Amino acid sequence: MEYEIEEKSAPGRSKVEVLGATYEKGKPKGEELGKWRQKLRDREEKLKYLQTGERYWYGQDWYGSEKRRNPA
Amino acid sequence: MAEAETKSVDNASIKMIEKATSDGVNTAFDRAETRKPCPIGVDGSCCSNCGMGPCRVPPPKGKEETPEEKQRRRGICGATAETIAARNFIRMVAGGAAAHSDHGRGVAEIFLAVAKGEAPGYEIKDEQKLLQLALDWGVEIGDRSNQEIAIDIGEIALAEFGKQEGEVLFLRRAPLKRQELWRREGAAPRGIDREVVEIMHRTHIGVDQDYRNLLRQGVRCAIADGWGGSMIATELQDILFGTPAPVLGRVNLGVLSRDEVNLIIHGHDPLLSEMIVVAAQDPEMVALAKSKGASGINIAGMCCTANEILMRHGIPLAGNFLQQELALVTGAVETMVVDIQCIMQSLPDIAQCYHTKIITTSPKAKIPGAIHIQFDEHNAMESAKAIVKAAIENFPNRGNNINIPKQQTDLIAGFSHETINYLLGGLFRASYRPLNDNIINGRIRGVAGVVGCNNPRVRHDDIHTTMIRELIKNDVLVIQTGCSAMAAAKAGLMTPEAASKYAGEGLASVCQAVGIPPVLHLGSCVDNSRILIAATAMVKDGGLGDDISELPVAGAAPEWMSEKAISIGQYFVGSGVFTVFGVNWPTLGNEEVTKFLFQDFEAIYGGMWAFEPDPIKAAHLMIGHIDKKRKALGIDKARERILYDMAMRRELEAA
Ligand code: SF4
Ligand code: SF4
Repeated sequence: MEYEIEEKSAPGRSKVEVLGATYEKGKPKGEELGKWRQKLRDREEKLKYLQTGERYWYGQDWYGSEKRRNPA
Repeated sequence: MAEAETKSVDNASIKMIEKATSDGVNTAFDRAETRKPCPIGVDGSCCSNCGMGPCRVPPPKGKEETPEEKQRRRGICGATAETIAARNFIRMVAGGAAAHSDHGRGVAEIFLAVAKGEAPGYEIKDEQKLLQLALDWGVEIGDRSNQEIAIDIGEIALAEFGKQEGEVLFLRRAPLKRQELWRREGAAPRGIDREVVEIMHRTHIGVDQDYRNLLRQGVRCAIADGWGGSMIATELQDILFGTPAPVLGRVNLGVLSRDEVNLIIHGHDPLLSEMIVVAAQDPEMVALAKSKGASGINIAGMCCTANEILMRHGIPLAGNFLQQELALVTGAVETMVVDIQCIMQSLPDIAQCYHTKIITTSPKAKIPGAIHIQFDEHNAMESAKAIVKAAIENFPNRGNNINIPKQQTDLIAGFSHETINYLLGGLFRASYRPLNDNIINGRIRGVAGVVGCNNPRVRHDDIHTTMIRELIKNDVLVIQTGCSAMAAAKAGLMTPEAASKYAGEGLASVCQAVGIPPVLHLGSCVDNSRILIAATAMVKDGGLGDDISELPVAGAAPEWMSEKAISIGQYFVGSGVFTVFGVNWPTLGNEEVTKFLFQDFEAIYGGMWAFEPDPIKAAHLMIGHIDKKRKALGIDKARERILYDMAMRRELEAA
């Protein structure tokens, strides 16, 4: 899970880093469809995925429809 | 219609029913003909809970009963017909919850042994799920090794079964509103075993004699199954064997091989089947098979264990519950190895007509006439190899009376909650948003969970497939587990192409965009817990209310037969889902009890039961409920608009 960072020159400023596309290119098919969990390489990435992908339960700043102040 | 065709819609099964008849083999299909259900027992009007009985208390046929007559319609102990019907019903819940949960306990025990390094051959395959459970249960992660974390998780999981106070921990995963409802209504289970035992106590003679109070305990016990024992089984199995992701598989008796050693694994527990799959690939075993004249070893699954190994390895499915005897009738099965649950005692007798060996493996499930090779999880590979070897050595004994039906169908399986979430949103923003959006805009009308068994009292697979076709035709996305999933797979409903063939235009358009079938295979019976999590994710993503009972969803088990199905249905209802069962209904002999389950439950739990044996009518009960929920959410108009738009587009294209 690699974020794409592009360097761009902004007018009147030195170079700035811009976050590129945050989606996976193409549409997984066949075998590829099944191999998504392997894309998460280490524990840090797995925990991060849980906080974003499974944010309904593990996100720290997003509680979905339930708008709870304190996480359950 | 030939007689066998009245018994099944599946051509492979029809052929084998005919072969069984000509081979003189007696199967469940024959037994269902000669052994008609007892009319008093089928309605729940008979009690045999003590030695003063059995007491039969059916309502009078064809005439009104006076209040005095009703007063007198009691067991010797004074128990009313309501008490008897309710007791019988929740004893079924207890039986089902115990089966799922004892399976879960077995997994937890091995999980802990793996964590401690005491079960060679198993490993922690899915670190992410391990971390997920650590977050769920407050286990420290830090720099600790997976083993250290797993020991804590295994201990917590095991303690869930014998816990006496507090609440089953996974309840915290449910929508907040649901958790509050459970607490308010006394439906939050304290520990898994405790709720089962309490049912056995309360249904003993002379204890709980208020049918409402009994049925409420049934709900609490069922929740201990769905959000407890079953969920623990699913989650720990995922950690040990991997969280399922889409795989291509094949289903039906045609997966048996003419020239290979056929070994069928039947039952429920992946602890056994996973090892056999590995053992069968061992070069030494393959060489042994070849030395006996076979070209290799062909493993196939039966019942829920089949779903487990299909979802994780793509191992073919030989068939569902009513095909277990028929598989032997092919004459091509060297060994059927069984563990627990849904195994017919007739198997060893039928095996005698052919060369098949039936091997039991669990100390909890022995059958006279079968060979018992105890599966020792602490020495799993040895046990697995002994079983595979027994199958290979039986290959030369194969007779000439062989007929393997050619039918086999492709399917895609492996749609765990995690994978659905990923498929809908991608790695960077996995999400149920696209699903919710398409429900809100009306392309998808709602979601139906169709699950459960086969039952020879109805035409095999027919009720499942007719219901499912009707649902997807009406733009209802169907999610499935168990033997019902296999019925749909055999009918070709679990491939992406099925969307354009059978689904309504709205559902088909979404399936095509995401690349999924209109009927999704979520796994085995314990994996009904995945459906609970998927429903919770829909709630939490937002826009469809804030409880499962507000979602446009419904559940069904149209060919149910096992107590496990009753427990599953009860935890769906207790989680807020409208659930329809077919075949027969075990409280029909009692109006009050049936009304409480079918109507009054809705006011308490937001979900309720229904009974409808006709699959089309049952599908429309579900669709009616889905539409009622759409209306309550104020999204009924959106669907009318989208149908109108699609019709317009069609007209424009035609012009
Ligand atoms: S518990 Fe009551 S109703 Fe049941 S068998 Fe005994 S006497 Fe009859
Ligand atoms: S769906 Fe029913 S018959 Fe099939 S394995 Fe599960 S409990 Fe047994």
